[in-house]
Amino acid sequence: MRIIGKLSYDFVDKMGGAMRISIALVVISIASLLYHQGPNWGVEFTGGTEIHIKLAKSLETEVLKGALAENGFPSESVQRFGLPGDNEHLIQFAPELATFDQIGDFQKKLEDLFATSENFEGASIQRIDYIGPRVGKELITKALLSILIACVGILAYLVFRFEFGFAVGAVIALLHDTLITVGAISLADKEFTLAIVAALLTVIGYSVNDTIVIFDRIRENMGNFPEKGFRELVNDGISQTLSRTLLTAITVFIVLLPLFFLGGSVIHDFAFTLMVGVVIGTYSSIFVASAFVVYWRKRKAAG
Amino acid sequence: MKGVSRLWITVIALFSFLCVILLTPTFMGDKLPSWWGKVFSSKGISLGLDLEGGIFLLLGVETEEGVEQEMLIVEESLVSKFRQNRILVKNSSVSDGTLTIGLFPGADMDKALEVARDEFEKVANISSDGFLVRLSIKPSYVDELERNSIERVRHIIENRVKDFGLVEPSIQKSGEDRILVQVPGASKKDRQRIVNLIKKTAVLEFKIVRAAGASQENLLAAAEAGTKRQLAEKGLVIHEGDTGNENEKFFLTDRLASVTGEYISDARITFDNYGNPAVGFTFRGEGASKFGKLTEANIGERLAIVLDGVIKSAPTIQDKITYQGTITGTFTTEEAKDLALILRSGSLPVPVRVEQERTVGPSLGQDSIEKGRFSMIVGGILVLVFMVFFYRMQGVVANAALVLNILFIMGFLSAFGVTLTLPGIAGLVLTLGMAVDGNIIIFERIKEELMAGKTAVHSIETGYARSVWTILDANVTTLLTALILFWLGTGPVKGFAATLSIGIVSTVFSNLIVARVFTNMLYRDKNLTEVSI
Repeated sequence: MRIIGKLSYDFVDKMGGAMRISIALVVISIASLLYHQGPNWGVEFTGGTEIHIKLAKSLETEVLKGALAENGFPSESVQRFGLPGDNEHLIQFAPELATFDQIGDFQKKLEDLFATSENFEGASIQRIDYIGPRVGKELITKALLSILIACVGILAYLVFRFEFGFAVGAVIALLHDTLITVGAISLADKEFTLAIVAALLTVIGYSVNDTIVIFDRIRENMGNFPEKGFRELVNDGISQTLSRTLLTAITVFIVLLPLFFLGGSVIHDFAFTLMVGVVIGTYSSIFVASAFVVYWRKRKAAG
Repeated sequence: MKGVSRLWITVIALFSFLCVILLTPTFMGDKLPSWWGKVFSSKGISLGLDLEGGIFLLLGVETEEGVEQEMLIVEESLVSKFRQNRILVKNSSVSDGTLTIGLFPGADMDKALEVARDEFEKVANISSDGFLVRLSIKPSYVDELERNSIERVRHIIENRVKDFGLVEPSIQKSGEDRILVQVPGASKKDRQRIVNLIKKTAVLEFKIVRAAGASQENLLAAAEAGTKRQLAEKGLVIHEGDTGNENEKFFLTDRLASVTGEYISDARITFDNYGNPAVGFTFRGEGASKFGKLTEANIGERLAIVLDGVIKSAPTIQDKITYQGTITGTFTTEEAKDLALILRSGSLPVPVRVEQERTVGPSLGQDSIEKGRFSMIVGGILVLVFMVFFYRMQGVVANAALVLNILFIMGFLSAFGVTLTLPGIAGLVLTLGMAVDGNIIIFERIKEELMAGKTAVHSIETGYARSVWTILDANVTTLLTALILFWLGTGPVKGFAATLSIGIVSTVFSNLIVARVFTNMLYRDKNLTEVSI
């Protein structure tokens, strides 16, 4: 069985239009990030106290926030977590509200509130995190630094295995995918937690893997059919690998669906990030990475 | 078609057997027969706290404090050395790792520098300026001090947590100046106790009480000092009291302690004459003789027992005491028990502060594990079904290779003692995605060859051969990335990179060797005309 038979489609012809889509997506992502004043950092990054609670009934986040504030627990943010039916929320408190030594008291007071207030009937605290302000900043800078160096490593290996233009194309696609996925998280107003960071790393890995398979075929065609024009070689390479590209994306998606719907609150957000990343990563292998190689070749031929 | 390589079949069988043995403890848990531990390792894959629940503490070690303390010791020793050599010291101060000693005009500067160099040339750069002698601590010595204090802090905390009797706590150095404490399975109730146990510096000092009062002002007046600084110059200090007596909220004592808790050899919970919990302790060697001297010289005076700067009790000395003593005060039984434990483990050389804490209720841990496991099983089954639906017999081959791949990865995770966390699972998801991708790449290539009218045998050969470099390129790039992340990353990034690195190696093996061997076994027939794909 084959989902796509022998096909010759002019992908290169569509790359100009795709670039507009990419630019639009990047602009939307940046706009959303600016509008939300950066990613909605989890407590791991900002420092402070975060509690994860499970309520017995559905409650609007605004109502929850108000009820907490009335009882002397002004929160920085209240967010839904997981699927709507879970009734789980993440609540962040400023570092000043409860210093580390006061968390025990803080927890007791909250539990007292849950026991007496109607809004919170049957609520339970699932998890409490306290993070000092110093660790968070270090975590961000270290994670960013390691990703940047990893990009340089990918670049170096691809220059060694392919050509310079291919390497740059793959890294541009990787950055494109990461930015748009972060934009999607921001648009969906999800909290940027450590699980999301792990998911982003996975997206990066997927994006590079997907790109390389196509590049590999283009390179193979370059060796086998030196008489063909580069545009045609790229079109052939993408077409020949297209059924694999789609099948892999579909298979990964099949795994992610149960994670998204059944995996519980933490895994839900993780799966969401991966789903966005897989779609964008598949698209970018063809319309960003390969497109850049075509552009780069054209410039080299002209200049 | 090439014959089935016996060598590879043996290797695959051996690996599978090894991994099954490595994983048995993980799946059997408590049901493991007792002889197992004697023959094989009984340690399975450990789950991270984000999956299992428990307490996670990241402690910052205030190593700068250690440097400051060291300079104070240098100050004390050098000033007394100067006095012995009849060098007139006017004043001295320590700030930012630099000790400055001011001498009276006419003091023998050459002699002073000589004494200072004799004693401290190794640890500090020594310079002079008029009648000032300056010692600034050397960076190399600072490094040494910091390394030492972190190692000592780690060791002491380890003793305390283990002494508390918790199951498999893990205490590791993390980064330059942090210590990571993980206590799986600890409940929210234990939290405060464990934190107190860890955080307590536990510096125990014994000092003679000069005066006691309800306010600091009274005591300053009694010492005829205007400020605390003047008090310090007189060699005195005010300590807060926690003795339960309202009229004795503050105590005036000597600044330096004559005897400290470093000589304690043992401590345990006892009860005082009124049946209240107290902590009994025993001195060893030098401590006993020092304590004997101190108590003998001050019979009738009050002895302050100072714990981390707060006076716990101040009994009157009735007689000379050498080996044994008791700390009474307002303790609960639990507090007394914990204090005894802390005293046994020794005091922290420098203070620690909690930088990150995570308390995960086992309920969430259990819930998220079960949901996560269930959703992954569903996802896994869907992939297996999809592969068979799409690739027929080759799909079965791919599935067999995939199942073995999972077995190998889990086995190696267990062998390397990698703790499985949520980011680790993310790494596994990526690995398995790439494993399936590897199969798809090969199978699509075989189909392409078949469509081009090649024979079945030739198509399989070419399909595998042509895919080797594609799969290697993709996986080597990912492995390279994973290794960089492992090397540079901390915490979650490291966990992700660890499972990914192990996973990639196993995936390449299962794509290029295992699947190939299975395909060959399936199509032994050399005149094969049709492939089920």
